[in-house]
Amino acid sequence: MTVTENPRTTEHPRTYKYVGTRPVRHDGLDKVTGKARFAADLDMTGQLRGAFVRSPHAHARIVSIDTSRAEAMPGVKAVVTGDDFAELDPTHPEFDTAVNLMARTESLYSGHVVAAVAAVTASQAAAAAAAVEVEYEPLPAVLTIDEAIAEGAPIANPTNRTLFSGDTEPSNLASVNEFGRGDVEAGFEAADIVIEREFRTVAVHQGYIEPHACVADCGQDGKATIWASSQGHFAVRAKTAAALGWSTDRIKVIPAEIGGGFGGKTTIYLEPVAVLLSQKAARPVKIVMSREEVLRATGPAPATKITAKIGATNDGEITTLQSTMHFDNGSTKGFSALTGAMSVASYKLPNLQLKAIGTVTNTARSAAYRAPSAPQAAFAVETLIDELAQRLDMDPIDIRLQNAVVEGDATAMGAPHPKIGFVETLEAIKNSEHYNSPVPQGAGRGVATGFWFNIGEQSSATVNLNEDGTATVITGSPDIGGSRASMALMAAEELGLAVDRITPVVADTESVGFTDITEGSRATFATGMAVVNACRELIEELKQRAATIKGVDVAEVDWVDGAAVIEGQDPLTIPEITAKAKNSGGPLTATASLNAAGAGPSFAVHVADVAVDEETGQTTILRYTAAQDAGTAIHPSYVEGQIQGGSVQGIGWALNEEYIYDPDGVMENASFLDYRMPVASDLPMIDAIIVEVPNPSHPYGVRGVGETGIVPPIPTLANAIAAATGVRMTSLPMSPPRLLAAISENAGG
Amino acid sequence: MPRTHVNCTVNGDEVDFLSADDTSLLNALRDELGLIGAKEGCGTGDCGTCTILVDGRVNCACLMFAPEAEGTTITTVEGIAQGDRLHPLQQAFLEGAALQCGVCTPGFLVAAKALLDKNSDPTETEIRYALAGNLCRCTGYDKIIRAVQEAAVEVNGAPK
Amino acid sequence: MATVHLQADHRRFTGGEKVLAVNGDTVGDLIRELERRYPGLGPLLTDGASVAINGELISNGVFEKVDESTEVYFVAPISGG
Repeated sequence: MTVTENPRTTEHPRTYKYVGTRPVRHDGLDKVTGKARFAADLDMTGQLRGAFVRSPHAHARIVSIDTSRAEAMPGVKAVVTGDDFAELDPTHPEFDTAVNLMARTESLYSGHVVAAVAAVTASQAAAAAAAVEVEYEPLPAVLTIDEAIAEGAPIANPTNRTLFSGDTEPSNLASVNEFGRGDVEAGFEAADIVIEREFRTVAVHQGYIEPHACVADCGQDGKATIWASSQGHFAVRAKTAAALGWSTDRIKVIPAEIGGGFGGKTTIYLEPVAVLLSQKAARPVKIVMSREEVLRATGPAPATKITAKIGATNDGEITTLQSTMHFDNGSTKGFSALTGAMSVASYKLPNLQLKAIGTVTNTARSAAYRAPSAPQAAFAVETLIDELAQRLDMDPIDIRLQNAVVEGDATAMGAPHPKIGFVETLEAIKNSEHYNSPVPQGAGRGVATGFWFNIGEQSSATVNLNEDGTATVITGSPDIGGSRASMALMAAEELGLAVDRITPVVADTESVGFTDITEGSRATFATGMAVVNACRELIEELKQRAATIKGVDVAEVDWVDGAAVIEGQDPLTIPEITAKAKNSGGPLTATASLNAAGAGPSFAVHVADVAVDEETGQTTILRYTAAQDAGTAIHPSYVEGQIQGGSVQGIGWALNEEYIYDPDGVMENASFLDYRMPVASDLPMIDAIIVEVPNPSHPYGVRGVGETGIVPPIPTLANAIAAATGVRMTSLPMSPPRLLAAISENAGG
Repeated sequence: MPRTHVNCTVNGDEVDFLSADDTSLLNALRDELGLIGAKEGCGTGDCGTCTILVDGRVNCACLMFAPEAEGTTITTVEGIAQGDRLHPLQQAFLEGAALQCGVCTPGFLVAAKALLDKNSDPTETEIRYALAGNLCRCTGYDKIIRAVQEAAVEVNGAPK
Repeated sequence: MATVHLQADHRRFTGGEKVLAVNGDTVGDLIRELERRYPGLGPLLTDGASVAINGELISNGVFEKVDESTEVYFVAPISGG
C-alpha cells in the first residue's frame, strides 16, 4: 500500500531514523476489530446502572427533593442528592465543578443534575429517576451576554464573584481584564483606513462521538476504583477527591480508551456521583450519558459578542487594533474571555488595546474546546484584516506577511514570541498549488490564519527494558489522537530500537507518576520530553552495564545506534545487555518527570474556495488547504489528521453548528439530527501541509499540533463567502437560512 | 416483563438469546452476546456508530428492537476479518491512519464494507454519500475516504 | 535583580508603572518583593499565573532562577482543549 509522502515545506534540520515515519499505531488493531474498550464497554461483576434527575428550569431554587417513591421502586439500590456531597467553600478551585455535577441549592441551567439513582438495570434506573419528586421555585433567568451585562440584571449564579477584582458582591461578570500596548488613539490617527465591526457567535459543542461514561466501584474499605473516559485521569482523581472531600489515596482511576474529547473531557461530570452511588449500594455503578444529556449539560464552547476596530496605512501597515470581547462562560466563572483576548498574537500591532469580559448566564457551564476561545477571536480579527486587504487592493497573504510576528515580537500580554514559524506557514500557502490556481468560476476564495499558545505542564514517563530487549513506554497521558505512537517513535529514536519492539502504555494513577491532562496540545511535547529524558537516563545505565559486562571503565563506552560501542570490541546491543541484566545489576528501568517549559506556539494558515447557492444560501466547499507549523512531525499521518480534523470542526462551527434555546433557556436541538455536524458528503478532501520550524525547547523540535487547526476555518470561510457573494457575515453560523437572509438584505440595501 | 426468544446468525454463528421487547438490538448484541464493537453514540440513528449489516443491508442497531432480529443474518465489525487475515478495509484504515480516537471506526468499517460489497469501484462522491450516515469528529473524513479508496483497489486485486 | 513586565490589570497597584527592576534570585522572590512594594499585587501573580522567563513560558514557575539579564512577564493562566 502506498502512503502519501510528507509534504514538508521547510528543510528538515536533522534526519531521523524513526521520528517522521508513519508506522501503524500500536492501539490500532483493537480499534479496527471492535476489541478496544471505551468506558461504556466495561462491565463489572454485580454492576448497577446509574441515571440522573435533571432540572428542567434554567434557574430555580430547589425547595425540596423527595426520593422516597424512587427508593421503593424495583431494583433501586441507592439515591443521592446534593446533601450527600462534601460542602466546599466557593473559593475552592473545584467548587464550580463540584456544584455543576450535582446542584445544591439552585438549578443553574436547564439540564443541571439535582439527584441520581442506581438500580439493577438501566431501565429501572431511568424509571426511578423519573420518580424522584423535586419541588422548584423558578427564579429569573439570564440567558445571553446582553442580558447578563444589562443594568439591573438578575444574578445568574449567586456564588460568582468577578475574578481578580477583589469584589465581594455577586456579579454576572466572571472576569474583566484589560491589556495591550502603545496608544491606540494615536494608532487610529496614523491610519489611513479604519474598519470597525461587531461579531456574534453562539454556543457550539465539542461533539465527541463517545458520550461521557464511567464505572465506579467503592469497596467496604472506603476506597474507590474508577474506570473513566477522560483527557486526564489524574485530574479525574483530583476533582473527584475534591467533590467528595476524600484524600487522593482513596481513589484509583484507570483510563479507558477515550472516544474523542477536544477539551470537553478535561473536566468531570459523572465520577463522584458514581462513587457515592457505589458506596451507598456497595456494588459497582456504571453511568453512561445519553447524547441528549451530553448536549444539554456538557461542553459547550462559549457564545461571544466581539467588537473590533482596526486601522492601517495605505501601504498595508496595521497601526492599531482595539477590541472588546465578551465571552459567556455559562453557569460558572471561567477564563474564556481572557484566553480569547490573549490569542490575538499573530501581528505586530504596535498599538493594541484588548478588553476581555467573561459573563455568567443560566446556560450549561462551558468547557474547553480545542484552542479555547481563539476561533471566536480570530473570526473578528481575521475578517477585519481581510477587509483591509480588500479595500487596499492587497493580496490577503501579503498583508499578513507584512505584519506577521516573528521571534521576539510581543504577544498580547507583552511576553516576546519564542522561535515561531508564522511567516513560513504563510509562505507555504502562498506557494501552494491551491493558492496559485485560478479561483473556480462563480466561486470565492478566502484565507485566514490561526494561532495557539500550546502549553507544557507536568508529565511523567517510565521506560522498562524487557528481558529480550524489547521496551515498554509507560505514560499517564490519555491518547486522544495517536500520541501513543508518537511516544513509541521518540523512544525508538532515542534507544535505537525498532518502533514495533516498543509497546506504549497509558497507565492508571497508581502505576505511573503524576501527569497533567492531555490538553493544550501538550502530550507529544511535554510527555514526549519525559519519555526522551527517561530513555536518556536508561542509555546511561545501559552504558554502565556494558562497562560492567566487558570489564571496562564506563568512560570508554559510547552509545551508537542502539548499541554500546567500546573500541576494539564487538558492540553490545540492547538485547545482549538485557540478557545479562540480572548479572549486571538487575532490571533496566528509568523514570523521568518534569514541568515542561518552552511549549512552542503553532500557527496555521488556511485557504478555501467556496460556491454559494444564492437561491438556498447553501455554501459548498470546493477546495480546502490547511498549512500548520508542527515544529517537527513525529508521526506525520497523525499530524495531518489533527490538521484535517481541526479544520472540519471549524467548518462545522462556521457553517451549521449552533445551540438553539427556547425563551425559557431550554436547548431545542439536543440531538445529532438537529445539532448538525459535518458529514463526509458535506466536504472535499482537506489538503494538509505540514510546516516544520522546530521548537528549540524540545529535543525533537515538537510543537503541539492538536488545537491550532480549528482557529482559521471560521474566518477562512467567512472571507471566502464574502468573496463569492459580496456579503460580510459577522455572525455564526453562516447556515443557509442566515446566509440567504444576509444575501437578500444586501441585494435589497 | 415477558422476554422473547430470538434466534439469528451473527458473524456466521447461530445464536439465540432472550430479550425484552423494548431492548434495542444494539444492547442485545453488546450485553447478551458481548459484541462491543458497535457503540451507542446517539441512540437516535444519527451517528452511525452502531452500524451493522442485517441480511446484508446497513442498519443502525440502536433503531431495531432485538426481537426484530429473529431469523436474520447479522454482521458486526467483529465479523469482517477472515480468520487471522484482516479485511482490506481494516488493513487500509490501519495503514492510512484513518482513525484517531477509534470510537466511530467500527461503524465506518461496516458501512464501507456494505458499499464495497455492492460497488467495488466507487467514486469519491459515492464513498462520501455511502458514509454520510456515519459521524467522525476526529479525522475530518479525509483519511477515511482515502482508506476506502485504497481498500477498493485491494478488493479488486488491481495492481498497486 | 530582574526586569519585570506587568499587565494593564496589574498597573492599578503600581500607579501605572509597566516595567520594574525588582530584586530577587527566583520568580518567587520577585513576587514577594512586588507584594511588599504594592500590597495586593502578589495574589494576582501567584494564583495560577503563568510566567514567561526570557521568552520561555512555564506554569507555576515560582522557583525558577532569575538574574540581572532576566526578562520576566507575568501572564494569565493558559490551559487548552
